[in-house]
Amino acid sequence: MAKIYINEDYCKGCNLCIHFCARNVLETSTRLSKPGYPMPAVAHIENCNACGLCELFCPDFAIVVEKEEVAKK
Amino acid sequence: MVTETKIHPLVEKYFRLDRMPHLACPGCGIGMVMKDTLTVIDELGIDPAKFTWVTGVGCSSRLPYATWMGDCIDATHGRALAMATGLKLARPDLTVVVYTGDGDCLSIGGNHFIHACRRNLPVTVVMFNNMIYGLTGGQVAPTTPLGAETQTTPYGNIEEPFDGCKLAAAAGAVYVCRWTAFQPKRIIASLKKGIGKNGLAYIEVFTPCPTQFGRYILKIGDPVKLAVWTRQNTVDSKKAETMTKEQLKDKIVVGEFVDIEKPSLVARYAELFEKVKRSQ
Amino acid sequence: MISDVVKEGMYFVQGDMACAMGAIAAGCRFCSYYPITPASEIAEAVAEMLPKLGGIAIQMEDEIGSMHAANGASIAGLKSMTATSGPGCSVHEDGYGWAIKNEIPVVIVDVQRAGPCNGVATLVGQGDFYQARYGTHGGNYEIIALSPSTIQEAFDLVIEAFNLAEIYRSPVIFLMDEVIAHTREKLIIPPWKEIEPRIVDRIRRPDVAPKDYASFGHIATPEAISVPFPAAGDGYGLCLSPYTHDQKGYPSSTFRDQDRMARRLIQKIRANIDKLVKFESAYLDDAQSAIVSYGCSARSALTAVKRLREEGVKIGFFRLITIWPFLDKQIYELAEAVDTIYVVECNLDGQLAHEVQRAALGKAEVIHIGKAGVEMHTPDEVMDVIKKHTAVSSRR
Repeated sequence: MAKIYINEDYCKGCNLCIHFCARNVLETSTRLSKPGYPMPAVAHIENCNACGLCELFCPDFAIVVEKEEVAKK
Repeated sequence: MVTETKIHPLVEKYFRLDRMPHLACPGCGIGMVMKDTLTVIDELGIDPAKFTWVTGVGCSSRLPYATWMGDCIDATHGRALAMATGLKLARPDLTVVVYTGDGDCLSIGGNHFIHACRRNLPVTVVMFNNMIYGLTGGQVAPTTPLGAETQTTPYGNIEEPFDGCKLAAAAGAVYVCRWTAFQPKRIIASLKKGIGKNGLAYIEVFTPCPTQFGRYILKIGDPVKLAVWTRQNTVDSKKAETMTKEQLKDKIVVGEFVDIEKPSLVARYAELFEKVKRSQ
Repeated sequence: MISDVVKEGMYFVQGDMACAMGAIAAGCRFCSYYPITPASEIAEAVAEMLPKLGGIAIQMEDEIGSMHAANGASIAGLKSMTATSGPGCSVHEDGYGWAIKNEIPVVIVDVQRAGPCNGVATLVGQGDFYQARYGTHGGNYEIIALSPSTIQEAFDLVIEAFNLAEIYRSPVIFLMDEVIAHTREKLIIPPWKEIEPRIVDRIRRPDVAPKDYASFGHIATPEAISVPFPAAGDGYGLCLSPYTHDQKGYPSSTFRDQDRMARRLIQKIRANIDKLVKFESAYLDDAQSAIVSYGCSARSALTAVKRLREEGVKIGFFRLITIWPFLDKQIYELAEAVDTIYVVECNLDGQLAHEVQRAALGKAEVIHIGKAGVEMHTPDEVMDVIKKHTAVSSRR
């Protein structure tokens, strides 16, 4: 499980995060960031395995991925 | 679905928040490498007060300047390595990383670059090669491919580009490598190695420039398409050894080219002081 | 030990050597240079002396590198210098402007030689007078330049140059010339305990905590001097760049920041000019005319004055020691007191004469006694011009 934070103050809508995600977690949206670019949105968080590639490739430090520990049964 | 916002932990820890968002164009590779650099500082536990970020002039230099929380020394165009020479010799305990570009390092700064390599000055040079002069609007650079139509070569570039890695190696750098901005793990590993080296570490990063090189030379302005192009045209150095000159035309050859040991300039000064002391 | 390197005693040395010894006495521990006649001897002397004190002497790949390396070393906390001649200064201007803008204490020795361009490497000129002040582009600044006239002064005055660099956080040009550089003369170095109190140390610790430090916080008080300059690695997060900046050192393109930055660079020197003024004068009490000169030319000028006095001519002598900021007030007062000012300098375009003319504000006639260089004036040459001019004037 994971949590993805997208910073609307920093995002410049380059879409590299969407491109590098292997699991279709993110997709484009019409919501504009503060710098004025269409931001990605988290569409399928259930697919995310917190690999961190979106965060790694973001040039603007606009994505933070946090792995959430699943409670053991 | 509204996503929550969080400031990236590396930004909170190491950047001046009043200088964010930084100046880069959407999709510019420089921001990725800055993140790689902060990752290295964090993982190596380097005291920010002892990390000096020296820059020249160009996009690669404007980005970290006054964004990094510690000492930011931004020289005039091409002179970052000359300034770093004085700085590092006066304070050998500081970790000095120089951000420079293909114009800043290989054109106007060429002489200082050659001699910093020759002297084996123990600093890490990250050279952002976008094959163009980005900040000033898209003029030809010493690394621009032959035939490219830039702002100052409207009929096509008639000069051959040269290879910064080969120059660094010939001039005496102890660690020389090239990656693309889309190889962050490699860059992080090379930065760690470079910082640990006793001498000049040259890390060249092919950086896609969507606004100038991408849009006008490759006719690819979209950052994602540029990422695809970059990865399609990146060739590992081992593979490159088996390819012909024609096959390698306009390809980006990546890998580690030099990794040797020899005394750094700081070590040689220390030796000199000992020698002089003994002779007194 | 410094006293083992700059030893007390009487010497018979060239001005270049005296300058090198004075710089080391002043605390210089970094010198970057590129070989150039007639300054190479300074480089050679520091290359031999500095390593004995753990100081860095480095021959850079060119003069641009030398200037920037000296800047880098100063930022890292060392008193630093570079030594060159006119052609090297032409090439320095890039880094010189950077040092001015970022208020870097650094001493630049310019041993003037015959010009323009390469001119004659081994022979005298005094054509860099204006270049020292105006060589770097952009305006909006003042600088400090000093010039010695004897070998003893080359030692003592360079210590003052380093002091002023610290007090004003400014590059200081030490404007020598080939005659002073290459002439051998007596130099007396006093015991170290007499030199030490003369030295001004860098103030490295600001009054504020590191997290509150702004690289240019002091520009709100343009006339402030003795402003602390923390070094790289001290933890103050320096922001030094070639760009117009705000108080934090962040690049700015507002008129307000441009204006404030310019006022600081100008006022810190202009507002304190009375503290900076240094000159030598003689025979002025009853003088009807005077010679104004500096450096090697002043030596011939003084001899000319003495000989003219013996012949009954009421002429005085005024030697600039501070070259920049220019001694407007003192030159004006001199122009009010005399009818004619003769300016003796080793250039034919009349650089010092131009400044004297400007500062005199028409209160005295200003006559340029220039010489293109290669040779300096002889006292007879100076006297001949003055006598001819006096004869012509008295016939009117």
